[in-house]
Amino acid sequence: MDELLAQFLIEGRELLQQASEDLLALEREGHSPARLDSAFRAVHTLKGSVGLFDLAPMGKALHAAEDVLDAVRGQRVDAGSGFLDPVLACLGACEAWLDAFERHGVLPPSAVEQGRQLEAALRGCMPGAEVPGLDGPVPALPTDWAAALAATQAEAVAAAQGAGMTVTALRYLPDADCFFLGDDPLALMRGLPELVALRIEPRSPWPPAAEFSPFTCNLMLEALSTAPEEEIRRVFRFVPDQITLVELPASAIATTTVALDGAGEASARVLRVDAARIDRLLDVVGEMMVAKNALASLAARVGAIDAGLGRALADNQAAMERLAGEMHRTVIGLRMVPLSQTFRRFPRLMRETAAELGKPIDFQIHGDDVEADKAVVEGLFQPLLHLLRNAVDHGIEAAPRRAAAAKPATGQVTLRASRRGDQILVTVADDGAGLDPAALRAAALRRGLLTPTAIAALDDAAALDLVFAPGFSTASTVTALSGRGVGMDAVRTAVEDLGGRVSLSSVPGGGTTVQLVLPRATVVTTVLVIRVGEERFGIPIEAVVESLRLPVAMIQPIGGGEAFVSRDRTLPLLRLADLLGLPPRPRQGTVARLLVVRCGDQPVGIEVDGFSERMDLLLRPMSGLLSGMAGLSGSALMADGRVLLVLDVPELVG
Amino acid sequence: MTVVLEGDIIRLRGDCPVADAEALVARLQEAPGRAVDLTGAGMLHTAVVQVLLALQPQVVGPAGHPFVERWIAPLLPMRRSG
Repeated sequence: MDELLAQFLIEGRELLQQASEDLLALEREGHSPARLDSAFRAVHTLKGSVGLFDLAPMGKALHAAEDVLDAVRGQRVDAGSGFLDPVLACLGACEAWLDAFERHGVLPPSAVEQGRQLEAALRGCMPGAEVPGLDGPVPALPTDWAAALAATQAEAVAAAQGAGMTVTALRYLPDADCFFLGDDPLALMRGLPELVALRIEPRSPWPPAAEFSPFTCNLMLEALSTAPEEEIRRVFRFVPDQITLVELPASAIATTTVALDGAGEASARVLRVDAARIDRLLDVVGEMMVAKNALASLAARVGAIDAGLGRALADNQAAMERLAGEMHRTVIGLRMVPLSQTFRRFPRLMRETAAELGKPIDFQIHGDDVEADKAVVEGLFQPLLHLLRNAVDHGIEAAPRRAAAAKPATGQVTLRASRRGDQILVTVADDGAGLDPAALRAAALRRGLLTPTAIAALDDAAALDLVFAPGFSTASTVTALSGRGVGMDAVRTAVEDLGGRVSLSSVPGGGTTVQLVLPRATVVTTVLVIRVGEERFGIPIEAVVESLRLPVAMIQPIGGGEAFVSRDRTLPLLRLADLLGLPPRPRQGTVARLLVVRCGDQPVGIEVDGFSERMDLLLRPMSGLLSGMAGLSGSALMADGRVLLVLDVPELVG
Repeated sequence: MTVVLEGDIIRLRGDCPVADAEALVARLQEAPGRAVDLTGAGMLHTAVVQVLLALQPQVVGPAGHPFVERWIAPLLPMRRSG
């Protein structure tokens, strides 16, 4: 993607988010000039950059939103006048437009009409035919250059504003090579209607006369005009990215000092790094950890020849191990972002959902400072959005039912996150009607998901689990929201794709809680490397109880299989070659090598052809064609560049 | 030809397109101190105006074109021929 566009999409979404948060805070906490200013700045900045792309409906709607916010700031519109709804609606639409623009490179055809409606709703907040009042509070000038320009033409500006006209400041920075492109900036300026002032300045100081080149445009043109902004934009329609327009506030020139943005804009000391670079770093660190593993066996071999040298090498290896581990944790930490990156989008969406369904909702978020891997945090958006919408749509009852149940009129929806070791726990809870296991059984029967016998056998917990079955929906009526969401089965799939799991609990009449348990990050797994024939595989060390060398004579045939006695217990023996579907080979020698592994509660012996070392590996989930293969939990790159497949023993034995 | 040298005065005649900028620079650089007469000039291309702004020659006016006279002339060291 074009770098400019990529940057615009990132910043655009951040600005929309910022404005949404500010406005929701205003609603929650009452009037705050700082919040209002922040929202205004965000919308203003976004409107400015929208002009670089073919997003005219968005630009117009944002412009109207900017006007409304500015009017509220200047107290020309009452802060309690209900301006929030249309502005938030506009921000929501812009977010959807950005998504569409990213996917398709254009806005949907409906955007023009939608934009017009948003604009009309926004303009409706403004007092009729607003003319900035001369006796109102003096608004700060939006930018310094416009203020300076206005100051040089104070009389002309005052005269125009005195006559009730709006004065717009224009700054035009033609491209350096615009002459080659056939542009004539002054001709454009000449086409500008209602020109009040024109200033032409060099962008950088003129060189000595002998070095001056006439082919490069080194000019900056500024102008004041009383024409409507649209007319000005029409003149510059072929160079929209080279102009900046600022509407001069009335009596702006009365302020002698120039107000600059910046208050409250603490410059965050943050470095924006492409996630792919972090991943590359993680790969390198992973390979380093593998290289470090080789050092341990080298130290052992050296120790056998020269004990002193071996010890020194082992000490070194231990230090390397510690440092590599720390480095790995640090890099993993770079990918850690707070859940708030996803959670912060929900308050506005929940507000929308509640309004759409006409249900008053109190939405609370707790624990959004919990951190998890970026992929987990981003991947949670869709499933959580669905769960939250479900909570409002299907969970929270309509007003009469709540009243009848003596519940408060406002429904409670809570999104909560906490950390539990290497996992994060995310719950979505509502105080709605809850799920009725009997109704779920009946619905499953109607839809023919299970046989009547199977349904009757379900306990309540298993009946609740039915909501995750594909094609299951408990809604008796289809609402506007149900149509656009995904089913609960998709929620489960999305969470499982992130390496997590979902469960649901419910109190009939008291509410529903959906619980998501997810890994915080990819972690290093210690595996034991084993050999079958010429093939090597890894087995996660936590699955291995012990490794044994057993005289072949102690293996007893039982039924169709084999068994052996270990620590006074008789354990089944399986050959890994059989489990993997490799060609059977006769036992070599008189000693069998086997691992005792846990499969559920039952230890099982797995016979292999050889053990080799333990390794710390960065386990990657299987992807692509291999992702569907049973018995594999992932793969890892080894020091020699070969890929080691890591086995999921319980699944293999299954 | 729209850039005409007459003694120490460079006269611009009619509308001056972008190509005139180079000619004007050449005339000004070969003998610093020459004046530029705009009285017979029409609309000036931005590149031509840029030459006047950068090299600051003495300019003789009033400019022949009202836009130039109204908006550009005030930015230049102008001597009015009356």
